[in-house]
Amino acid sequence: MIIEFGLYALVLSLATAIVLSVLPAVGAWRGDANLMAVAPVAALGQFVLVTISFGVLMHAHLVSDFSVANVWQNSHSLIPTLYKVSGVWGNHEGSMMLWLFILSLFSALVALFGGNLPASLKANVLAVQGWISAAFILFIVLTSNPFLRIFPPPPEGRDLNPVLQDVGLAIHPPLLYLGYVGFSVCFSFAVAALMEGRIDAAWARWVRPWALAAWTFLTAGIAMGSYWAYYELGWGGWWFWDPVENASFMPWLAGTALLHSALVMEKREALKIWTVLLAILTFSLSLLGTFLVRSGVLTSVHAFASDPSRGVFILAILVIFIGGALTLFALRAGSLTAGGLFAPVSREGALVLNNLILTVSTATVLIGTLYPMALESLTGEKISVGAPFFNLTFGLLMLPLLLAVPFGPLLAWKRADLLGAAQRLFFAVAAGFVIAIAIWYFENGGPVLAVLGIALAFYLMVGALTDLWFRGGFGKVPFSTALRRLAGLPRSAIGTAFAHFGLGVSVLGIIAVSAFQTENVVEMKPGQTVEAGGYVLKFEGMKRGQGPNFTEDRGTFSLTKAGVSVGQISSSKRVYMARQMPTTEAGIRTFGLSQFYVALGDLMPDGGIVVRVWWKPFIICIWFGALIMMAGGFISLSDRRLRVGAPARRAKKVAAPALEAAE
Amino acid sequence: MLFWILVSCLTALLAVALLAPLLRRPATAGGEHSHDVEVYRDQMAEVDRDAAAGLISSEEADYARAEIGRRLLSSADKASKETDGAQAAQRRSRHPLAQAFIILILPAIGIGLYLLTGNPGAPDAPLAARLANPGNDVSLLLAKAENHLIQNPDDGAGWDLVAPIYLRNRRPGDAANAYRQAIRIRGESVERLGGLGEAIVMSNQGLVNSEATDAFRKALSLDRNDARSEFYLAYALEQEGRSMEALAAFQALAKSSAPDAPWQPLVAQHIANLQKGTSEAKPGQGPANPDAPGNPTAADIAAAQDMSAGDRQQMIQNMVAGLSEKLKANPNNFEGWMRLVRSYAMLKQADKAGEALESALKTFPADSQQGKQLVALAAQFGIKAPEAKP
Repeated sequence: MIIEFGLYALVLSLATAIVLSVLPAVGAWRGDANLMAVAPVAALGQFVLVTISFGVLMHAHLVSDFSVANVWQNSHSLIPTLYKVSGVWGNHEGSMMLWLFILSLFSALVALFGGNLPASLKANVLAVQGWISAAFILFIVLTSNPFLRIFPPPPEGRDLNPVLQDVGLAIHPPLLYLGYVGFSVCFSFAVAALMEGRIDAAWARWVRPWALAAWTFLTAGIAMGSYWAYYELGWGGWWFWDPVENASFMPWLAGTALLHSALVMEKREALKIWTVLLAILTFSLSLLGTFLVRSGVLTSVHAFASDPSRGVFILAILVIFIGGALTLFALRAGSLTAGGLFAPVSREGALVLNNLILTVSTATVLIGTLYPMALESLTGEKISVGAPFFNLTFGLLMLPLLLAVPFGPLLAWKRADLLGAAQRLFFAVAAGFVIAIAIWYFENGGPVLAVLGIALAFYLMVGALTDLWFRGGFGKVPFSTALRRLAGLPRSAIGTAFAHFGLGVSVLGIIAVSAFQTENVVEMKPGQTVEAGGYVLKFEGMKRGQGPNFTEDRGTFSLTKAGVSVGQISSSKRVYMARQMPTTEAGIRTFGLSQFYVALGDLMPDGGIVVRVWWKPFIICIWFGALIMMAGGFISLSDRRLRVGAPARRAKKVAAPALEAAE
Repeated sequence: MLFWILVSCLTALLAVALLAPLLRRPATAGGEHSHDVEVYRDQMAEVDRDAAAGLISSEEADYARAEIGRRLLSSADKASKETDGAQAAQRRSRHPLAQAFIILILPAIGIGLYLLTGNPGAPDAPLAARLANPGNDVSLLLAKAENHLIQNPDDGAGWDLVAPIYLRNRRPGDAANAYRQAIRIRGESVERLGGLGEAIVMSNQGLVNSEATDAFRKALSLDRNDARSEFYLAYALEQEGRSMEALAAFQALAKSSAPDAPWQPLVAQHIANLQKGTSEAKPGQGPANPDAPGNPTAADIAAAQDMSAGDRQQMIQNMVAGLSEKLKANPNNFEGWMRLVRSYAMLKQADKAGEALESALKTFPADSQQGKQLVALAAQFGIKAPEAKP
């Protein structure tokens, strides 16, 4: 009965989404406050219903109710509780439920925290959220019902895919979807504004927190996914330019562009039309990503053609929402007034450059991802556009952007002094080179290009700090005054510095690993040693082991540096009982910012085993940088000056600046 | 019943919540532009604050103030006009259409789509409750035992318990694994070795391979009179084409077993077949040519061992179909036809076996030596050539 109630709640949430889609939009059109007032209630009601439904599905997984087909296919009574929970979204139906749950969550958040929005804008935004929800609930109920039943229930489940039996599954998809789906709010804001035909600086100020929140979660989600692939797949790589990765990376690039153009729009009322278009494009790329991952088109164009019901449904959603939004944009864009003017060399100009490069690189990734699929479906020829294509095109595009990043915050709005900014950055450039050469000396013998790359990374980091240095006025005013001014800076400025610094840290990791990592593939027998990164790895032997639902052969190694033991490391090959599927668990040991990575290969007939050993200097920086970027996002999000504009609370709001000044 | 009460309550509650804003006295909404005014005021304050903190020069601040001021004035102007208009627009009815929409669409979509996609009245089936009360659901009991064994792989008694069940349920791969585990933990016994051999034979579609014969020989070394092992070893000889030795072995088994032993009819059948075959075979005929086309290769057999029952069935079907194709192209292959007829008969496809026999008899006429063998083979399985009309 509980299970059936979950399905009913899901179906009822569709009815609620339809009410949300229609009444508030009509109300906003006719200026009817009562109809508009339905929006928050319906959004919250829909959230409660979807939460009930999602909760019931999770309950079914937790109690191993194999009468639910979804549980039977993707769970097993013996897997640890954590995987029973995360297994909910470790499959198609469940991940669509998570998608829907987060979409409803964002609608509810707009309903709760949208008090500062004009009533008609809020009603329209929620109505657009309602359209998206209705489309996806319909998709779930008609093609991906997670509450399908089997009677009589099978005795045991078919287990969760062993590759997914990891903490990563508990963290990565929710974070990623918070980002992916969070951009739906920006999309809804854009469509709502186009419907009203009114876009101004205030609009940008209202959209920016949502874009920032979505971007922050997406950053974290992608970084987490990258780390997960790195340690779970056992290939030692951290980014594969795989279509699934690209699907999440494209909204990130477009979202980063959106974040920056919304800034221009908010401060200077320029780039209005462009910002609205970016908001539409960013969520369109999220939808496209969902289509790529969920329709099965990635595994094979032909597999997709053989069972196209899901794919065609998502494609229809894609066409209706992207096509509809772009049509609306085409109709309305002409009537939108262009905003403030600015000279090419200015903060605005720098942000336009940022947008230009980010959009072109998004297009590059898009082409690299879709072209092989298009070619295969048209000619049947299978090609793969691999890392070389992306590294060359994307890498070259990023270079000027990275060089420009520290300049942006140092330039003044409207018209700026490039030379002045360059002088201020002189220290950053110098510091970059000095540190790079120091590292080169330390690692001695790396490629020369890597020195330039590392110089670039430190230039980014020091450049981010330079901005704070000059804003605080260090060197010009007494130190204590400068410190006080630093503390009094808008948190968005500090967030910017963090995000740019984090970018530098990630670049450092990427360059150092690409240039200095070492890889050994050797056959080892117990007692043999191999050397990497100054450490000596000794193979101690293999041991059989037993997990809750798998058996494993665990290879144990000991690590020594200059004859001193620095610890043990172990990698294992597991076989999961229910699916009889083998996986490799890599052994990773972290030393400072670098890692030692061991993965077991095949057993050889003579009793040896193939061992792959990597020394990955500074690799932690890649994800650590993303964490810093994420922290920057949250710091900027906490800037209370972003949440303003409620006439009802006027008295309080006027008091706020005084309070802040006293801080 | 309780389910429908809950469903009604939830739907009604939602309807009330959605209707409430419509029935409320019209709220006087603030104008659209008053919100903008607030944003611009805040921007103005931010400029003042930045200027005071020395973050921007006074000249820059003046520029910014002028720019924001222009937007502020324009919005404030619109806002004051709006407030007048808003008052007039708010006198409206109680939205009968919107109410009807909500009241109709909730049950219509809710109940309608649910009845279409759901299973009303279907009970929950959490595993713990099912295990506590398994009734006589053998597969559930087996699953319980399996879970126990995954956690306690060294429980030999458990493996002994499940192995014959697997064998009976025609899951030879699992059965072989279970017997091996039991042998590993509790040592060899006639029962375990015999069972292992039988499981291996079953996984190979009745082929008694060397791995199976090893198991049976070991079983016999423990118990000279183990009829099952004797039977399969004799059968292995028969499959190898060593008909005389096989006949002797079967006859020995028939003699040593009690006359009313349940396997006597089967043994007798093999003896009869062999006697017929040996009397008709030319003296000195060697074993069947192992490389005759259509024989599964060692690789095929190895592959079959790793397959599930369904996949294996598919593989056999494919092999038989492939053989049939080959024979169509090159019909002058007596052993191939023998094998095809036998395969179809084993697969219980009597009509196809009949067709194969008919085709074979075109190349090897029924009155020839080979034709007679073909007809005799078919007769064993109760298959007659579709009477060629004289």
